[in-house]
Amino acid sequence: MTLHLVLPVALPLAGAILCLAFYRVARVQRAIALSSCAGLVLYLAGVLWPLLNGAGYATLRIGNWPAPYGIVLAVDLLSAIMLSLAAVVGLAVLVYALAWFRREPEEPLLYPLYLILLMGLNGAFLTGDVFNLYVFFEIMLVSSFGLMALGGERGQIEGTIKYLAISQLSSALFLLGAGLLYGLAGTLNMADLARKLAASGATPYTAIAALLFLGAFGIKAAVFPLFFWLPASYHTAKTPVTAILGGLLTKVGIYALCRLYTLLFPVHWAAQRSLFLGIAALTMVVGVLGAVAQGDIKRLLSFHIISQIGYLIMGLGLSSTLAMAATLYFMVHIVLVKTGLFLIAGIAEQVTGTTDLYAMGGLLRRRPFLACLFLITAMSLAGLPPLSGFYAKLGLVIAGLQSQEYWVVAVALGVSMLTLFSMVKIWTQAFMKKATTAAGAKEQLRPGLYVAAVGLAALALVAAVGAGPIYGVAQRASQQLFDSSAYLVAVLGR
Amino acid sequence: MLILLAVVIGVLFATGVYLLFRRSTVRLIIGLALLGHAANLFLFTMGGIRPGIVPIVGAGPVEQMVDPVPQALILTAIVIGFGIQAFVLILSYRAHEEVGTDDLDQMKSTDVT
Amino acid sequence: MASHLATDRSKTLLRVPGWRWPLAPVLALALGLFGFVLRRAPAAVAGTPWEAALDWLPALGLSLHLRLDSLSLIFALLITGIGALVVAYSMPYMQGEQGLGRYYASLTLFMLAMFGLVMAGNLLLLFVFWELTSISSYLLIGFRHEEAESQEAALQALLVTGAGGLAMLAGIVLIGQVYGSFDLGVILAEPTRLRAHPLYGWALGLILAGAFTKSAQFPFHFWLPKAMVAPTPVSAYLHSATMVKAGIYLLARLSPLLGGSIAWQATLTTAGGLTMLLGAWQALRQHDLKGILAYTTISTLGMMVALLGLGTAEASQAALVTLVAHALYKGALFLVAGAVDHETGTRDVRLLGGFWAYGPALGLVAALAALSMAGLPPTLGFVAKELGYSAALEWSEQAIASGGLALLVLAANACNVALAVVLGYRVFFGEPGGPWPRKPHGMPWLLVLPGLLLAGASWLVGILPGLLDGAVERAVGLVLPGAHAGHLALWHGWSLPLALSMVTLASGAGLYALWRRRPPAPCGEPRLSALAAYRWLVYRALPGAASGLTRTLQNGSLRFYIMVILASTVLVAGGTLVRSGLLSRGSLSSEAYAWPELLMTALLVAAALGVVLAPTRLGAILSLGAVGSMVTLLYVRFRAPDLALTQLLIEALTVILLLQVFHYLPPGFEEHVRPRRAALEIAVAASVGLLMAGLVLMANGVQFAPPIARYYLEQSAPLAHGHNVVNVILVDFRGYDTLGEITVLATAAIGVYALLRVRRRKA
Repeated sequence: MTLHLVLPVALPLAGAILCLAFYRVARVQRAIALSSCAGLVLYLAGVLWPLLNGAGYATLRIGNWPAPYGIVLAVDLLSAIMLSLAAVVGLAVLVYALAWFRREPEEPLLYPLYLILLMGLNGAFLTGDVFNLYVFFEIMLVSSFGLMALGGERGQIEGTIKYLAISQLSSALFLLGAGLLYGLAGTLNMADLARKLAASGATPYTAIAALLFLGAFGIKAAVFPLFFWLPASYHTAKTPVTAILGGLLTKVGIYALCRLYTLLFPVHWAAQRSLFLGIAALTMVVGVLGAVAQGDIKRLLSFHIISQIGYLIMGLGLSSTLAMAATLYFMVHIVLVKTGLFLIAGIAEQVTGTTDLYAMGGLLRRRPFLACLFLITAMSLAGLPPLSGFYAKLGLVIAGLQSQEYWVVAVALGVSMLTLFSMVKIWTQAFMKKATTAAGAKEQLRPGLYVAAVGLAALALVAAVGAGPIYGVAQRASQQLFDSSAYLVAVLGR
Repeated sequence: MLILLAVVIGVLFATGVYLLFRRSTVRLIIGLALLGHAANLFLFTMGGIRPGIVPIVGAGPVEQMVDPVPQALILTAIVIGFGIQAFVLILSYRAHEEVGTDDLDQMKSTDVT
Repeated sequence: MASHLATDRSKTLLRVPGWRWPLAPVLALALGLFGFVLRRAPAAVAGTPWEAALDWLPALGLSLHLRLDSLSLIFALLITGIGALVVAYSMPYMQGEQGLGRYYASLTLFMLAMFGLVMAGNLLLLFVFWELTSISSYLLIGFRHEEAESQEAALQALLVTGAGGLAMLAGIVLIGQVYGSFDLGVILAEPTRLRAHPLYGWALGLILAGAFTKSAQFPFHFWLPKAMVAPTPVSAYLHSATMVKAGIYLLARLSPLLGGSIAWQATLTTAGGLTMLLGAWQALRQHDLKGILAYTTISTLGMMVALLGLGTAEASQAALVTLVAHALYKGALFLVAGAVDHETGTRDVRLLGGFWAYGPALGLVAALAALSMAGLPPTLGFVAKELGYSAALEWSEQAIASGGLALLVLAANACNVALAVVLGYRVFFGEPGGPWPRKPHGMPWLLVLPGLLLAGASWLVGILPGLLDGAVERAVGLVLPGAHAGHLALWHGWSLPLALSMVTLASGAGLYALWRRRPPAPCGEPRLSALAAYRWLVYRALPGAASGLTRTLQNGSLRFYIMVILASTVLVAGGTLVRSGLLSRGSLSSEAYAWPELLMTALLVAAALGVVLAPTRLGAILSLGAVGSMVTLLYVRFRAPDLALTQLLIEALTVILLLQVFHYLPPGFEEHVRPRRAALEIAVAASVGLLMAGLVLMANGVQFAPPIARYYLEQSAPLAHGHNVVNVILVDFRGYDTLGEITVLATAAIGVYALLRVRRRKA
């Protein structure tokens, strides 16, 4: 029994509780939060990955109830990749947030909310039960509501209301889908569902269930035409919160789509290809055009989240092993690069005192190191070689042309061009042009900000240089997803 | 009996959605509450609607008991929904403090391009 | 006087102006690579290229495969050699500028990228280096980054070459699909496979997009003159000698694959020819030295493309030799222009003249290079020109076609002659047209030497063309498999090409006379041009479309968002439901309805309608309570006591909370909805309701497998020691869910606390 599998949930939860207990002692809170996140990273690197490298799967039956009667935690390579991303980015943004919120009135409540957010993320990646997925989604959502509104400014309140209202729609759809599945198959365990649905063949009932989940996770992942909540709310939060939400939360929706479609709805997945690809193309275009229209750096980056989600949906829609491997590599790339960009934007915000691009300037001269960091992450986002974005998009292009979906590939390349265009806009306005004086600018920045940003940029470089091995892992994960018999055996024991 | 439940669920969904379109945040929140009810009832019907006995050991033969699983799920969903509802209520209160009204049409400042 | 001269000379000899120690590794790298290439040159010429490979990303077919064959050899020598000279030249030229670290870093990056490009043995690897050259070019053009002109020019170059690059990528992937590999060795072994494939046209078009944008062919030529805002060493290196030749390299390299078809020939000769003439014509109208050099470069690039398009051995040979000759003389001329600019502060050809007095060595360089540009023997330029003419004349059997082509080439060459006179003679010996911004004060020798080496090389290889012979011959065999061209020589006997050369010289002289009489006047940009199209696209159409779309979609109205989301969901899900035909299998059971159920349903519906129709918010809240109570009763009726209990409690709490908050809210307002919007809202709401009701009916009675509930009912007491099965499920079987539920509640509480208690001090 791999009891340690529950650590990614238990550790942040314990940390959150302790942080609440030490509400008045900020120093202890910081230590607790840091050690929880660091502990997660160490656990994943030291225990989980070696375990998975050998066996390929790891499972834990909560309460020792046999599956499918109890809730089962099931980790395959996809879950492990997502857990690692959450842990690494969680740690980096925590270091950043520590420096950002130091001695602000919100600080004591930041840590519990942040750790619970991580708990929700990890729980979603670990679980092998559909309703349990719903519960952890809710944990994630509630903590994100709290984080987004932390600070209480008008924009934040407005944004949170819109975010909350639309998230409730997503939750309702999720409940409906889960309920429908229970009504059809009488079980909530994913592996058991897979078996029973496969035995019954492709039916319109399961198609509708799949669409309900597509709607629920589509809202979560901010695809077209369900994305409106993201540009309305993400940029209003304090920048470290925007970074962690923007980097990870939308990707959970993609994860859930991956998991459910490969496991439960493989037949419908192929049948709904044009729907997926159409959504992907529209998402890419609307997202990048939205970004081009923005003059505020945080809003610009928020729209780019949507555009990049389009690529992930495209990879999902192509439904081939190469496309899935490219999607997984893209996931690694985008989480690291996107979060890094938000952190860099935050530093720029502090140095210039504003997030308005047209009011910024002169950063290349004043902060050349920051400029270098920005170049690395922005060029990677734009898909320029030899950085990680290129290999991610190349994989999708090759997979797309192999499947003869020429239009989507053309759209993907065109959107790539526009992404480059908007990154150059940031570079020109914030870095190249002459500085304009602005109030609220800080001269001395806390080192934690740079540590986090450099860390993520370095990881993005590692993702580029190590594209070979990462693609290897992604291919193995992709094969696991396409052949779920081993998963079923691992979870159900037969 | 299923027809009646279907009607109820349909009406609750329709009224809930209709309220989501209203300008006042309070009505929006009420609409969300109705949607919650509707989703819960939907879940409930998935357990199978037929005459049966309470799922308590000792109340009768096991074959006649109604499905306990949707009940447990709905319980969880209700509590979760309540937590979120409390939060959004306070949020609307704070919105009133910041914006001065509960009119959603006055709350478009985050989207100006 | 003598002692004064002595001190001057000692100052410039002992200390190299602009020297910094970090430049040593850069120079060492350039020279080292040059030596590396030179050492492996004989093997390449002999037909046994040097290779090295590392399988790096097998999942995508990208391997780090480098190979040095004869075609790469020619380019690699130019890249590394001219690179070293440009670095040396930059030392005095860029002295005193800000951000030199960035400059040299970008320059080194470019050199390595360009080197890798010509050495790449894998098409994907080639693309990686291709884009790297675009990036480094962007950084270098935008070097003086605070000037808007530099920003714009850099962006233009990046967007045009980047767009072409992406198209090229698609073409590369298509080729990779046809051959099953991206390795050039594999691909070039079967050149005809692509031509027979249905995707040939697409691959050709896409690859040409990349080559044409990079090599500034019409209509993608407009970025190159704008790129002249870059520092002159950059212009010399990137935008004349090397980067713009990358497209030529690609065309030459892939010519076995893509060439030989009518499409290839027609496109290349047309585009190349147009570019050649357009560039020459525009060059005559420039008054900036660098402008002249840029447009003549465009013209020569066009000529090379057209020659490659002809598809004969002589034409390919001519293209390659022109390439080398052009790199040498144009590089030298750019360096001269830079030196003149550095000393006098102007590049305006109307002001310059008589510079010989201030820099005789520079004048010598200019003369040597200009003679090569004009194509006088015994320069390499002359050899190239002769080859060009003979290729044009021997191209087609029809005299009209060959003759016409030769005449067009002659026209372009005549312009070259005229401009060579301007650059080599007028700047140094003519009368200055006006005062210069700066007084020249002693030219650093390092500004002269690199140019001298380049111009000298063009004379050396001209006199001894045998030096280039082997490499070019082997390279021609790579461009056109199985083809053989004649030997390079200065003198081929009295022939038609020689006559054409003499005509060229004469007409060139005449053109110069005309040019002198009507010096170029600056004129505005024509309204209908590629540049105008680009400007419109990038500065008007794109931002307009983007803001328009975003403002329409992301308009701030939560109502709109929800409506779109629900409408799309209903359409997709409802559509599937309707199309599946499940609704017709309605299971309207015929059992009798008991009156308690009917009453409950009626009351619930009434309460729900009451919530919607209540005129005051208070009424709505109370109706909500009624709905909740009815739902509770439903739960009771259907044997869910715990559920009913919880629902009742929660309902009570909700109503209390609502009333409390309501107490603090501002007075309510009347909402007036226009009938069209009201109809839309009702329609969406009704369809959602119908869809859900339909789902309920549809899913009834369908069961793929018996539910797991049986296990819980049976095992609750013995295994979990509990009698209330629902409770046992919550607490034991699925206790993990309950943990989550509690966490949600606690987190909501934290959130509420944060909202109420935590406020920033208002500034």
